[in-house]
Amino acid sequence: MQVYSFYIFDRHTECIYSKSWFTPPPPASSSLTSPSTSRPQSQQPAPHASSVTSPPVASLVVAPPSAAALKRSKQKKDDDAKLIFGTVFSLRNMVRKLGGEDDAFIAYRTGQYKLHYYETPTNLRFALLTEPGALSMRNVLHQIYINLWVEYVVKNPLSPVEHKGGEGVRNEMFEMGLDKFIRGLM
Amino acid sequence: MSNLQPAKGSSKDQPGLRYPTSGKTIYHRPLNRTKAAELSGSSFAYLFSEMVGYASKKIESIQDLEKRLNVQGHPIGLKLLDLLLYREPTRSQTRPLNIITLLHFIKINVWQHLFGRAADGLEKSSDPSKPDEYMIIDNEPLVNRYISVPKDMSQLNCAAYVAGIIEGVCDGSAFPARVTAHSVGKQEEGEMWPGRTVFLVKFAPEVMEREGYLGKS
Amino acid sequence: MSANKAARVGEEIWKGRIDKVNAELVTLTYGTIVAQLCKDFEADYVEVNKQLDRMGYNIGLRLIEDYLAKSNTMRRCSNFRETADMIAKVGFKIFLNITPTVTNWTSDSKQFSLVFEENPLADFVELPDDGRAQDELWYSNIFCGVLRGALEMVQMQVEAHFISDVLRGNDTTEMRVSLIRYIDDELPPEDD
Repeated sequence: MQVYSFYIFDRHTECIYSKSWFTPPPPASSSLTSPSTSRPQSQQPAPHASSVTSPPVASLVVAPPSAAALKRSKQKKDDDAKLIFGTVFSLRNMVRKLGGEDDAFIAYRTGQYKLHYYETPTNLRFALLTEPGALSMRNVLHQIYINLWVEYVVKNPLSPVEHKGGEGVRNEMFEMGLDKFIRGLM
Repeated sequence: MSNLQPAKGSSKDQPGLRYPTSGKTIYHRPLNRTKAAELSGSSFAYLFSEMVGYASKKIESIQDLEKRLNVQGHPIGLKLLDLLLYREPTRSQTRPLNIITLLHFIKINVWQHLFGRAADGLEKSSDPSKPDEYMIIDNEPLVNRYISVPKDMSQLNCAAYVAGIIEGVCDGSAFPARVTAHSVGKQEEGEMWPGRTVFLVKFAPEVMEREGYLGKS
Repeated sequence: MSANKAARVGEEIWKGRIDKVNAELVTLTYGTIVAQLCKDFEADYVEVNKQLDRMGYNIGLRLIEDYLAKSNTMRRCSNFRETADMIAKVGFKIFLNITPTVTNWTSDSKQFSLVFEENPLADFVELPDDGRAQDELWYSNIFCGVLRGALEMVQMQVEAHFISDVLRGNDTTEMRVSLIRYIDDELPPEDD
């Protein structure tokens, strides 16, 4: 069961963390805007790169990224994050208007992927993209929250409370734990 | 200067303080009531991190921060000495009279009370030019459990707080000493105890003199 | 969640899922914090109160996520009364093993009092007899900050302050909490 990527948005609607494990093969008709046909598997937004994970299944050609290509794909990543946030935020608001305050938006599925959404009462939002056939990942997201986020980010006295620009989230323990956890599912 | 004391020793009754109408003061509370009481580890972690955060404002160096933590732990050591000796069964209720007894008291009683287990090791310094140095070893200090030190402060060891407590116990039993905390755990693969901390206890020269004198007689 | 269920949940979590430390370590650590503050501010107890509140606020911002994770609640309380019950029976229970009582609701359900029968942070504490401490210092003021910070993260702006304290010679330790308003969700910035 493939996990494609994972995003965390904070209560100020900013994307404070994103990570991809696997980029789904684009259908022949659509093409991505960056010159290389795929992002390098383990790319992280450049200023925050600490450790780079080794790519698992690589059915895609990985072109050596030039500086411009890196910048473009970073931009694309940011845009992706914004798009995703916009989508889930609107869907969540719509769900609340139609189903009452207690109703929650859980997931949506397209032909290419399934997006699972999880929101905590503190307005921290997780979005996980997996293959379309995946079962409910709500429990997975809950576990990520309890065992990784709270343990390694909240309880770390050295990480700030507000994670402007992702500060404090990219600590080693959180990343390692998250990586291990997700790979354990794949 | 005002001293707030979670006081267990004798403090004379102070006229002028108001007490609740039930007349119950802290002197009516049995000392052993909270002996085995427990609280959540997170409460300690949050309080401790706030303490470290507060102490790290306006400091110029890491040594300064460690010194502040040390100073904050000192009065606790003094109080713990009295309290733990009081709680000992009557026949062993004498205060430690030589270095080894004192260090054993710290390693076992103080550690057991604060952290629920005895410290992991007690050693005399193997350096012959420093006979006044002893080491208490803790593989995983509780106070460091939730703290991950950033790279630019890698010499900081928040166990300086515990070092202050140890120093208080030593000073209170008339064995003046300086205690510092050093991390010796290596951050590599296969290291069993990456957080291993050594508390270096360096006794004052008059203590060593006295030990030597007592040993001979 | 009803009050009884909340109490049971609190008790269960306390027994099962909390790693525990010696209470006296926490009491002593808090004591040394307050003592250090009094020394630093040279007995300006009003400032000490403010500083304790600020420290509590910082703690509360983090503590709320810890609380949500431990209590496994994934939905917000539906009204302020439920919030009060959850704070008293689950929140305080899992961190301090105490259950203060919730009383003195105003008619619009926007204010309540928390009455503490026991306060582990103030065990064996006596305020100094310098004529001012008993009138000015709220020893456990950190609780007010914690509640303020924690509730702000779940979109509630509250105000909390102590109105009586046994350390001051009153008969009970009581904190008054009032809801000021519910904070709206932040909207993403508009892209044009």
